[in-house]
Amino acid sequence: MKSLIQKLTETFSPSGYEAAIREVIRAEVTGLADEIRVDALGNLIVRKAPAPGSAPAKKIMIAAHMDEIGLIASHIDENGFVRFTTIGGVYPQMLMGSRVRFYSGAPGIIHTEPLEKPTDTPSVEKMFIDVGAKSRKDCPIKVGEVAAFERPFLELGDRLVAKSMDDRIGCAVAIEALRALKSTPYEVYFVFTTQEEVGTRGAETSAFGIDPDLGFSIDVTGWGDTPGRKNFEMALGKGPAIKIKDGGMLSDPRIVNWMIKTAEKARLPYQREVLLGGTTDARAMQLVRAGVPVGCISIPCRYVHSPSEMVDINDVQNAVKLIGALLSNPIEL
Amino acid sequence: MELTPFLKSLLSTSGLSAYETPAAEIITATWQPLVDEIRRSKVGSLEALKRGTAKIEAGAQRPSILIAAHMDAIGMMVTRLQDGFLRVTQIGGVDARVLPGTPVTIHATGSGKTEELPGIVVQPVARLLPAALSDSPVPIDQLFIETGLLPKEVNAKIQIGDLVSYATEPVELTGETLAGHSLDNRASVAVLTIALDELQKKTHLWDVWTVATVQEEVTFGGAFTSAHSLRPALAIAIDVTFAKGPGASDWQTFPFGKGPTLGFGPNLHPFLFKKFEELAKTLEIPYQTEVMPRHSGTDAYAMQISAEGIPTMVIGIPLRYMHTPVEVVALKDIQRAGRLLAEFIAALESDFVEKIVWED
Repeated sequence: MKSLIQKLTETFSPSGYEAAIREVIRAEVTGLADEIRVDALGNLIVRKAPAPGSAPAKKIMIAAHMDEIGLIASHIDENGFVRFTTIGGVYPQMLMGSRVRFYSGAPGIIHTEPLEKPTDTPSVEKMFIDVGAKSRKDCPIKVGEVAAFERPFLELGDRLVAKSMDDRIGCAVAIEALRALKSTPYEVYFVFTTQEEVGTRGAETSAFGIDPDLGFSIDVTGWGDTPGRKNFEMALGKGPAIKIKDGGMLSDPRIVNWMIKTAEKARLPYQREVLLGGTTDARAMQLVRAGVPVGCISIPCRYVHSPSEMVDINDVQNAVKLIGALLSNPIEL
Repeated sequence: MELTPFLKSLLSTSGLSAYETPAAEIITATWQPLVDEIRRSKVGSLEALKRGTAKIEAGAQRPSILIAAHMDAIGMMVTRLQDGFLRVTQIGGVDARVLPGTPVTIHATGSGKTEELPGIVVQPVARLLPAALSDSPVPIDQLFIETGLLPKEVNAKIQIGDLVSYATEPVELTGETLAGHSLDNRASVAVLTIALDELQKKTHLWDVWTVATVQEEVTFGGAFTSAHSLRPALAIAIDVTFAKGPGASDWQTFPFGKGPTLGFGPNLHPFLFKKFEELAKTLEIPYQTEVMPRHSGTDAYAMQISAEGIPTMVIGIPLRYMHTPVEVVALKDIQRAGRLLAEFIAALESDFVEKIVWED
């Protein structure tokens, strides 16, 4: 599974430019599903049919977003420096000195105009990307080209570190859950969604198209187990989290109960999640059409939206097992 | 329907966003005899149908109006257990300035079943707070809930994610006013109930969907989803608005007890505003015009842009001290809004929809 996580996180696909990651995922899921298609917004929809002879199957949608945060070139100056703006929630303090890779493959480094105090964090407007060009003409980057963090995958014992763990780790969990799923009473739609980081857009339209009876997202959550963190109890290695609330939605209590009961029956560790800020694809799914009972399984992740996001492999593996248990038995809402 | 006992029973119930069932049960019991069908939506909104009398051809549908008031209440949720005390976050927009000293109910699930435990919101004494906070309101993440239990009992009984609701009981003030938490928006649920009550004595051509929506305080989720699935020809949201009171600016507030407000602005259909205004004048029901230049901040926002788009209106009940445990309303405004709504529904002709045009 580690090599899968490495492959997924070392692919460059900011929101709106998911073609590369979609092909990586498509190759992984080919042969595991009854139908694979791509919808108008680029979501990869992977359907697994219910076991023959099942009662009329409920449709369940499981969303993991395949896009990542990134940058987009907005101006090339006469000396070939690239000005940029952000795609999704990029913190300026994570950018200074960072290396990025453009869609075309060209690397670049980020620095800033002189600051009043060298210890200040520059705003995005003050920063630029140096791609080694000597002039505008010489610059390989076009206005509108996107970039993502350049940072190799790192293994620190049980802890795995990479850019775009948010939410390639969710994609990895979904792929492995599908691989392990031999038979299910549901019509299962694994959806690798687009444009989550710019407003859960792929989930909104794919949920509209699928019209599921219930669903959940798989995404990262924050952490509370490093120095100075307050009022959020979430630790790496204590199990995947079952979301009760986040900054954008309340999970359906029936889904929360189903997840908790299933985890306890399967003797899997889990954490109860009340996240103070941020949300996931589940919010968009909840509000679509006549409404959908939804929840979310979260992977505790340190340093979210930095170039070095960290998860614990045990939480990841337990999330796969939990989803397997959830998909094995029919639910009565 | 006796207004005050009904409203007081609703105000003594939790029913926080996404956990509305206790409120829905009380409302169901009251609405059941007044409607033809009643059910919960896929996400829990209470949808009640009272059929109209318009004759319809086979295969056609009688026009319908959706009247909506959200039944969810703001409250809190446990984020952390700390040395026997609880840390909480808000569900919806809690006014943390007035929380210290408020009695609450903790819906504790640690024992495997839900146990209602009393608690009080407390704040550290001033000298123990960071200097910047020592003489100003304390933000919610610095407040605690005291249960009186020992730390090990707290850890056994209470879990992260447990709900915390206000435990203050409603108070009948003099002058036919009522004070209590969750009058936003249970006061408007009472408006719907009065309208249903009035409609028992009237004939109406249109089908009436009366909906107590869920999750208005967090996502407008109930309004989005019921409007989408019921596809009414018209939608009216009832919600509370800001009444004049101590310290409130004159131009942002509406007189208290002097009639409901009629919303006016891009979120509301101008033809519906005109019809409501004409009707209020004819019936001599006092009203006030509430200009809503943007998002109305009510279920009307969600309903207007659901499905193919729905002509939408909002009726406001002036209320003081919004999102505190001591919201205050005038009962008269609730009765007036209920009557206005019933009269509007009874007056709907079968071809009303064809007359609607957006003229500014």
